[in-house]
Amino acid sequence: MGESAVRVRGLWKRFGRQVAVAGVDLELPAGKFIGLVGPNGAGKTTTLSMVTGLLRPDQGSVEVVGHDVWRDPVEVKARIGVLPEGLRLFERLSGRELLAYSGRLRGLPGAEVDKRATQLLDVLDLAGSQHKLVVDYSTGMRKKIGLAAALLHNPEVLFLDEPFEGVDPVSAQTIRGVLERYTASGATVVFSSHVMELVESLCDWVAVMAAGRIRATGPLAEVRGDAPSLQQAFLELVGAGGRDAGSDLDWLGGGVR
Amino acid sequence: MTAATAPGPAAPTAASLTPVLVRLKLSLLRNGLRQSGGRTAAWIASAVVVLLFTVLQTLGLIALRGHAHADALIVLMAAVLGLGWAVMPLFFNSGDETLDPTRLVMLPLRPQPLVRALLVSSLVGIGPLFTLCLFAGSVVAVAHGAFAFVVGVIGAVLALLVCVTLARAVAAANTRLLTSRKGRDLAVLSGLVVAVGAQLVNFGAQRLGTGGLAQLEPAADVLRWVPPGTAVGAMAAASDGEYGIALAQLALTAAALVVLLWVWSRHLTRLMTSPDGSTLTADDRPARERGSAGLSRWLPAGRTGTTMERTLRYVWRDPKTKSAWVTALAIGLILPVFNAWQGTGSVYFSCFAAGMLGIQMYNQFGQDTSAFWLVAMTISSPRDAYVELRGRALALLLVTLPYATLVTVVTTAMLGDWAALPPALGLSFALLGAMLATGAWTSARFPYSIPQEGFKNVAPGQVGLAWISIVGGMAGAALLCAPVIAATIWLNVSAGGEGWRWLLLPVGAAYGAALTLLGLRMAAPRTAERLPEILAAVSKG
Repeated sequence: MGESAVRVRGLWKRFGRQVAVAGVDLELPAGKFIGLVGPNGAGKTTTLSMVTGLLRPDQGSVEVVGHDVWRDPVEVKARIGVLPEGLRLFERLSGRELLAYSGRLRGLPGAEVDKRATQLLDVLDLAGSQHKLVVDYSTGMRKKIGLAAALLHNPEVLFLDEPFEGVDPVSAQTIRGVLERYTASGATVVFSSHVMELVESLCDWVAVMAAGRIRATGPLAEVRGDAPSLQQAFLELVGAGGRDAGSDLDWLGGGVR
Repeated sequence: MTAATAPGPAAPTAASLTPVLVRLKLSLLRNGLRQSGGRTAAWIASAVVVLLFTVLQTLGLIALRGHAHADALIVLMAAVLGLGWAVMPLFFNSGDETLDPTRLVMLPLRPQPLVRALLVSSLVGIGPLFTLCLFAGSVVAVAHGAFAFVVGVIGAVLALLVCVTLARAVAAANTRLLTSRKGRDLAVLSGLVVAVGAQLVNFGAQRLGTGGLAQLEPAADVLRWVPPGTAVGAMAAASDGEYGIALAQLALTAAALVVLLWVWSRHLTRLMTSPDGSTLTADDRPARERGSAGLSRWLPAGRTGTTMERTLRYVWRDPKTKSAWVTALAIGLILPVFNAWQGTGSVYFSCFAAGMLGIQMYNQFGQDTSAFWLVAMTISSPRDAYVELRGRALALLLVTLPYATLVTVVTTAMLGDWAALPPALGLSFALLGAMLATGAWTSARFPYSIPQEGFKNVAPGQVGLAWISIVGGMAGAALLCAPVIAATIWLNVSAGGEGWRWLLLPVGAAYGAALTLLGLRMAAPRTAERLPEILAAVSKG
């Protein structure tokens, strides 16, 4: 393919005196399963919000599949799917109603929306709860219905913010299966996480973020380098390697209560 | 192993548990105040108001001493108080964490000491103080003679305990409901109960003012046999020398207390020994698709119909939106119709219905909460924003147009002033159009978050924004309506104007429609270019 799915140049965002994103440059290849990793507070959510047009950057430019997010929203919004973290859904709709609503808002024909919704609900194990209000869904079910809404219009690039956070292993496996099938067809997935094992097993391309900057980016093997695991490489990259918290808690476990 | 031979901590007895729970209640009260200065101020202000009210009410009761029908009034008051205590935990459950016994479930406590300790700790607070003062005032107002005073004091204490235990029993019996989503929805709707209750009290007071206290007697004769009214009944009977009846009513109060304590203790035991609601499977019944499937067939296709359908569903299903709508519908009807009923109204008062419902157009995106991102992701041009806003306005019109017309016709029929119907309708439509226009524009320009939990309708820090949006918008709407208002006045006062007053109906309707279209056209580009800013503003709740 060769073309990049996402191209970010000099991206900045400050909230008051706190700098959330401090000059991010990033080029993500199309057709890959890409992991954006970093500790809590690294700026992953802020970066993804700015890339998807949900947050206006202070400075910098974002292009998705060759179109500027802020100057050409018509081209971009039709081509991307988003699952944000920390934002609500229309929770007083049932799962099926939510899919019907978001599909039709995107201008898809009603019959097509209903057909795709039925298949997505089936694949994501939500068919049994499709008529329950989303407000009564568990965390895992919310992530799955959010993913279904993001996939409904068959986007070229999918942005997922912490899609596995608080999700039970069964739902996680289901989400994983759907995403793997989706990327196998040539689409791009960008997802953020702080669970390294997950990123290591899923992704073929990684960007490591810490304190609002990109610390490393490239194919998984390249970022991991000589380290035994991505976890180890990551800890070294963010400067947290070798810290041992055990010696002060010598009373913990066994012995005198 | 030392741990195996060491004696385990003994289960706390009532004597040791009661002070602990009283101290817990006081700490919760204090910590609640410590959270913010504003909250402290609000709490102190409400405490002062309640105490003032208590003092005035008690003084009023004392002043009633010797009045022929004082006991009837006070029996009713005791009944209302009892009802209040029964209903309170259902609506204001979140205010008192000790009301939720499941928080103590992990502690090794026996039911009897726990009930005693919880009962004593629930006597701490403004509510019990208020109740005690009222019953003390009742004793002064009703009791005549030493025996009556003794009966009165015992009755007042019993009545207070009945009220507090009633609240606890209701809370314990409904904990499952109250800690669930449906319980929180119910709490949001409680504002309505308060508003409707205030109307009823107001109505009752007006009738009392005209008819005197004597008409309370029939109701009081029944209620003096229903606890906690029995306590007041006992005082009155003892004063009249009917000692047998007094003792029977006192015994009935005590019996009610025992039964309530038994019910409470039983529910408490069941709560403490069964799994709590969060580990049970949630309600699996499908959401009722009341009328919506049929509705979507009638709505236009595409974004317009989709947006309308979602908006109308939210009016029914979202507790905040629902209570705003029901309040608007009720006040929009009550104000013109009640005034017409009392013969003081005017047909033009029915514009209130259009005005109240027009307010629902304000802060459209705040009503979405942060779910607005779903809408924002599908708006990529001013045209999309226009269709979105128009869909919301149409959904509102679908209810408001027939409703405002109905209210105007009913008001006119009650007043018999049919000549005023066309201009009043025209003015209503013009006002509605102006409200929709300013509502759409302020929705784009001054959005703010509506917290989903609790009674607040504005997120902290956005009160100024909400004021600009609503008050500024309404002033703007009134200004926009000025030409139609001026024409109405002119046709009403000028000689020969009556013949042309019907003209105000088509003119007002056309003017309102034009204002709406203009407002939507002006709001759309602002919405489209400010999507991230709107999302940030509505995501604070």
